[in-house]
Amino acid sequence: MANSEQANQRLTLMGNQAISRGALEAGMRVAAGYPGTPSSEIIENLAKSADEHGLYVEWSINEKVSLEVAAAASLAGLRSLCAMKQNGVNVASDFLLHLAGSGIRAGMVLVHCDDPGALSSVNEGESRHFARMIELPQLEPGDFQEAKDMTKWAFELSEELGQVVMLRSVTRLSHASGGVVPGPLPEVSGQARFEHNGSLLDPQRGPVTAGPVSVNHPRMQEKLARAVELFEESPFNTYSGPEEPELLVITCSICSLYVKEALVMLGAADRVGVLKLGTTWPLPPKLVQRNLERCERIMVVEEVIPFLEENLKIMAAELAGQIGPKQFMAKREGYLPSTGELNPDLVAAALARALDIEYQERPAGYAAKVASAAQATDTPRELAFCPGCPHRASYWSLKSALALDGRDGFICGDIGCYALGARPSNYGILKTLHAMGSGAGLATGFGQLGRFGMDQPVMAVSGDSTFYHAVIPALINAVHQKSPMSLVIMDNSGTAMTGFQPHPGTQTDAMGHPVPPVDLEGICRALGAEVTVCDPFDLETTRQAAMDMLADQSTAKVLILRQLCALSPERKGKKLYDVQVDPDKCLGGQCGCNRLCTRVFGCPGLAWERETGRAYIDEVICAGCGVCASVCPAGAIIKTERA
Amino acid sequence: MIKQGPRDLVEQVQEAGLCIGCGSCVELCPYFRSHNGKTVVLHDCDLEQGRCHAWCPKAELDLEELSQALWGKPYRFTGVGPHLALTAAKAGPALGEGAFQSGGTVSALLAAALDQGMIQGAVLTGREGLEPLPTLARSLDEIKACAGSKFTAAPTLAAFNRAQAQGAEGLAVVATPCQGAALAQRRLDKVNPDAPTGPAELVVGLFCNWGLDPQGLMRFLGQKVNPETIKAMDIPPPPAGVLTVETTEGTLEIPLDEIRGFIPPACAICPDMTSEWADVSVGMLEGRPGWNTLVVRSEKGRALAEAAADKGWLVLEEMPADMREHLAGAAEAKRARALGAAQEQGLLGGPDEPGPKALRVGPEFWAELSQGKGE
Ligand SMILES: Cc1cc2nc3c(=O)[nH]c(=O)nc-3n(C[C@H](O)[C@H](O)[C@H](O)COP(=O)(O)OP(=O)(O)OC[C@H]3O[C@@H](n4cnc5c(N)ncnc54)[C@H](O)[C@@H]3O)c2cc1C
Ligand code: SF4
Ligand code: SF4
Repeated sequence: MANSEQANQRLTLMGNQAISRGALEAGMRVAAGYPGTPSSEIIENLAKSADEHGLYVEWSINEKVSLEVAAAASLAGLRSLCAMKQNGVNVASDFLLHLAGSGIRAGMVLVHCDDPGALSSVNEGESRHFARMIELPQLEPGDFQEAKDMTKWAFELSEELGQVVMLRSVTRLSHASGGVVPGPLPEVSGQARFEHNGSLLDPQRGPVTAGPVSVNHPRMQEKLARAVELFEESPFNTYSGPEEPELLVITCSICSLYVKEALVMLGAADRVGVLKLGTTWPLPPKLVQRNLERCERIMVVEEVIPFLEENLKIMAAELAGQIGPKQFMAKREGYLPSTGELNPDLVAAALARALDIEYQERPAGYAAKVASAAQATDTPRELAFCPGCPHRASYWSLKSALALDGRDGFICGDIGCYALGARPSNYGILKTLHAMGSGAGLATGFGQLGRFGMDQPVMAVSGDSTFYHAVIPALINAVHQKSPMSLVIMDNSGTAMTGFQPHPGTQTDAMGHPVPPVDLEGICRALGAEVTVCDPFDLETTRQAAMDMLADQSTAKVLILRQLCALSPERKGKKLYDVQVDPDKCLGGQCGCNRLCTRVFGCPGLAWERETGRAYIDEVICAGCGVCASVCPAGAIIKTERA
Repeated sequence: MIKQGPRDLVEQVQEAGLCIGCGSCVELCPYFRSHNGKTVVLHDCDLEQGRCHAWCPKAELDLEELSQALWGKPYRFTGVGPHLALTAAKAGPALGEGAFQSGGTVSALLAAALDQGMIQGAVLTGREGLEPLPTLARSLDEIKACAGSKFTAAPTLAAFNRAQAQGAEGLAVVATPCQGAALAQRRLDKVNPDAPTGPAELVVGLFCNWGLDPQGLMRFLGQKVNPETIKAMDIPPPPAGVLTVETTEGTLEIPLDEIRGFIPPACAICPDMTSEWADVSVGMLEGRPGWNTLVVRSEKGRALAEAAADKGWLVLEEMPADMREHLAGAAEAKRARALGAAQEQGLLGGPDEPGPKALRVGPEFWAELSQGKGE
């Protein structure tokens, strides 16, 4: 693996692997994080070689705790890394703000991976703003080699400043692969020890506290000023192109590759200068000034919100007396969009417009055309749950329970695979969907509105990992405030969405070592909630349990629907049942069924044979859960237990 | 017969507030369920025609077509409607004791039909607390266990569908007028000829002016009595103006004005007081507690009533002229009131009126009704 590979052999690494390699080359000892696409492989990768390299690596209960775990190592003299997705920084930000106040000791890097275009998120939040808001240095690697090299350097920078360093990746860097030449792995040694007996004002020996603000805040800004000095000389900020170009493009992150490609596409490399910034906050003014002086017209290429653009404009305004007015051509001028991902085509179109070059942009309908051409050879499929997925079974029962209850009740959704329940193909059963734990929180609030005439019962769903992450406080709130919220925990025994990372309810930790699982029902009971546990594959019992929960709206209740994820290592490829459709019994499209299994239930394991007008099981896709046998009104789906 | 699909049913009946919860569309498929006396739609079905819509008594009920098919004459009913005989009746000694609503005529007719081998069983409406609980009765004891009126609408036909799906044949159904209309439509069209569902062997109709919304009544009465203690309920004839609830603790009288709010809007457009599509219909005999009014309508009904009287299941007596007149007046009043209300709400039409309509009548009757309204 990349982690143990020798130095100087060129490897093809995923961006996230390159980042973890950089951390190993920096002698990092402790890593912590919470899974979230596109960041998860960083911790996974480090966890795999934890024993070999003598590291401690953990999947923490949530991002804030992971940052605290990493910070503890830094304060005790060990280099540490913390990794999370963009919105994870929101969760960690309270501690991050206070940690920035106290400063750290050994190098500590916060890797935050943004998801422009929301490829695996329900937001495209921009986490770089935390760097400006909390006053921390921000680095942004522009390719795979830099992902490794900048990570390694980030530890040195952090240590020199005594401050956390933020390093931002994006999906297209984290999840794509490219050439990386690894450096040597150091011999690491050194004991952990937390010095705390010195003076409060001694950052290396005293107690570590966010205050006194009057001392610490100026100190934070001195650290930033020192960062600026170092950034002025940083080899990660590069200029390429003619000395006096017609147009200067300033870019960062993976967008620098899009710019390169666009210039080749347009044959305009000799007309345009490119300043690629690796240190995007705070901006080094001398470097910026030197480059702004090259020409009048400036284009800024970055994804989503104009972060770099606004900071550059402020700097250009400050320098106007020396460098004259500049004409910016960026998002605010309508050259590039401020939502969604960029790509070489969008960048080429913006450049062509600025340079007055004829360029046939991809026509608007092109993407749809490509998709339909691809689909021509493909079975059309909705974004549905996997065959054998317990969530489909759970939602089937919850949907029936809500309909039978008849009071127009609804479910507040949450973040995990089960968020797909908001889509029509999965019954559109979730009526709110926001952040981790917010389904339960919203339900707690809705539950209080009976006093204002609201008579709809409310449910919340949560996954097991999400429960530990952020639902517990909402449940405590519900119990204590007497909110009649019904919480359904869909326990598939792992963090399924991001690749089965362990969580506090599982029996092994990130490194594969045995750990005591924290008892889900025990917690709920201890909090004072009534708890029922059901197998969601038993549709009848689950529906009844849900109806009982809805019928008695006097207290907070928890229904745990426990069944392994169909893709979990324990279940994958192992059918519980052989399942078949008896074509003589199948009612098909007749009045009496109208294809309930394929048209409504919608497991991809069931297919429809147009010629015979009957359903059949696609043996290859069917996961053998046998749930459809209880759905079929004709008893036509027959399941036989596997030996 | 205008047959449409479940989406039309949901729009024209459920969402329009006209569903009476008779259960005709329940247990035919996985899409409709009955819960706490209410018909619930679990999933969306996109069929263009289904038994649910075809048989629903509140969607496109063609009174003219039914009348022609069942009674061979136009729908221009007077009095209690088409009948072969109208008499006073009560259970005979063969039936023995039971908690019958009035004279026990219904239970007696069922017992006789079972005894004669005319039917194999009867779909009846028992109760659990205040919740009507339809079931299939196959013995005298099971018939008696269901005696007594539940004054709420009930999903009786769901139990009938379930019994048929499980292979039961030769079934009688004791039906309110709306349920009777649903059953009558099955005689016009089976819709899905492969399905086991279809008409009943025998329909014993009940008189009915209105029923009550079960959830509303359960909530209301649940606050006044323990539903477990209820022994019987009755609505004595006017001018009493009360619902009496007999419990193990005593009898409670609830003014009808307090419960009128629970009468579903569907009852206001129901023109049928005496179960005009049944083989025999049974109601109270006003002024003679312990007796019933019996309307014999079909040949099958006549054969049953005669056999029942022969074998001592039933006692028959002439019905006095003033009672007949009074009953005819009440039946006519309901018919006129309901057709008027339906017309006012745009729910009534002739055969060619653009739909949807809840009720349709023949062309001449429609012309007359429209004229009457000055249209
Ligand atoms: C909702 C309702 C309203 C009525 N309104 C009137 C009225 O206005 N005027 C009048 O003269 N008579 C009315 N009746 C009929 C009357 O209450 C008696 O049911 C009838 O006189 C038969 O009496 P019995 O002694 O022969 O019945 P029993 O021998 O006691 O048998 C009663 C039968 O009714 C069935 N049943 C009970 N409740 C329901 C229900 N909710 N839906 C379907 N079947 C049911 C049972 O299955 C049982 O077999 C009404 C009945 C109901 C259910
Ligand atoms: S649910 Fe059953 S009857 Fe309906 S199409 Fe599927 S296999 Fe056939
Ligand atoms: S058939 Fe009966 S239960 Fe079904 S919609 Fe019509 S009135 Fe309601």
